[in-house]
Amino acid sequence: MSIYFVHKIAQLVAKDSAFRERMKREPAAAIAGFKLTDEERRALLAGDVGRLAQLGAHGYLLGHLARNEVLGLSMRNYPQRIHDPGSTV
Amino acid sequence: MGEIVAGFGVPHTPMFPALVAREGPQCETAQLYRTVAEHLGAIKPDALIVFDSDHLNTFFLNNYPNLSVGVTDQTSGPNDGTPGLPHYVVPVAEDIAARLYGFGLESGFDLALAQEFDVDHSILVPLHFLTPHMTLPIVPVFINGVVHPLPAARRCFALGQMVRTAVEALPASRTVAVLASGSFSLDVGGHLSPRGEFAGTPDVGWAETVLAHLRHGRINDLLNEATSERMARAGNVAGELLNWIALMGVLGDRRPSFLEPQIRMGHAYGVWRWD
Repeated sequence: MSIYFVHKIAQLVAKDSAFRERMKREPAAAIAGFKLTDEERRALLAGDVGRLAQLGAHGYLLGHLARNEVLGLSMRNYPQRIHDPGSTV
Repeated sequence: MGEIVAGFGVPHTPMFPALVAREGPQCETAQLYRTVAEHLGAIKPDALIVFDSDHLNTFFLNNYPNLSVGVTDQTSGPNDGTPGLPHYVVPVAEDIAARLYGFGLESGFDLALAQEFDVDHSILVPLHFLTPHMTLPIVPVFINGVVHPLPAARRCFALGQMVRTAVEALPASRTVAVLASGSFSLDVGGHLSPRGEFAGTPDVGWAETVLAHLRHGRINDLLNEATSERMARAGNVAGELLNWIALMGVLGDRRPSFLEPQIRMGHAYGVWRWD
């Protein structure tokens, strides 16, 4: 069920401006309090949305991370990353 | 006695308001919405039931309803920053919504009750084009079309049948039209989007199949084929088809009087009239 917290983080990025700003400033600290697996935490901090999708994350919610430009993601690099797990172009 | 007077189906692509503002009233998308709007304007119903799939903006996964009815006097939005949409306040036909909710429970549909909520582009893009003055009261009926596993197609069809019976059992004389919002094949932000694209249509063939079933009234085929797994292959929001399936449950054995696809986008515009 821990993928729920990946979804929750993406949702907070879209809906909560204070959390969004913290995700831009100090992402590791911003997600420290969420119950994530080591793999989820690593993939999130690397902006590895392709891996997160493999782990069961919903693309519609992951897209919030690109729309709001956190974790090194943007609408420009997101399409390649979602298709290529491990990619950090 | 209430009466179902017409049915409609449209997409809710978030980019369409800005696209139509940019390209003008003669662009294809504007003309398609206008055709549907003209039919709705000619029917002049007292209320519009809207089958819709919230995109995790009205509800979230902490408690996500598979089927829910909005029972309140008004709602507003968009709550997801849809480009090109103003902030809208939309009246809700609370008496019809409350009857539908109660009738649904009595009929064995364990509907979730939503009494304070705002709505996203999936309701407001259609209304922006169809009822821009926002004077026609709606009844929002939310069907999970985006969080897998999805509710069963046959259950959503039965929901539509129940809605029809509920409307016909209304104590007052009311005319009610029904709108389905959504695509047949669409992926947003997922790995089924075309390579290099943020969103797109992974399965045009499935959209064509759905379209043919709707055009020829082959509802049983549609219900057999529209499994959660099949819809998942058509994109991460392709379960919005369930809204059209619920519409078919309301309409029964009718053929569309207008059905025009934008097939590369995996969606269509439909009108069912019999007046």
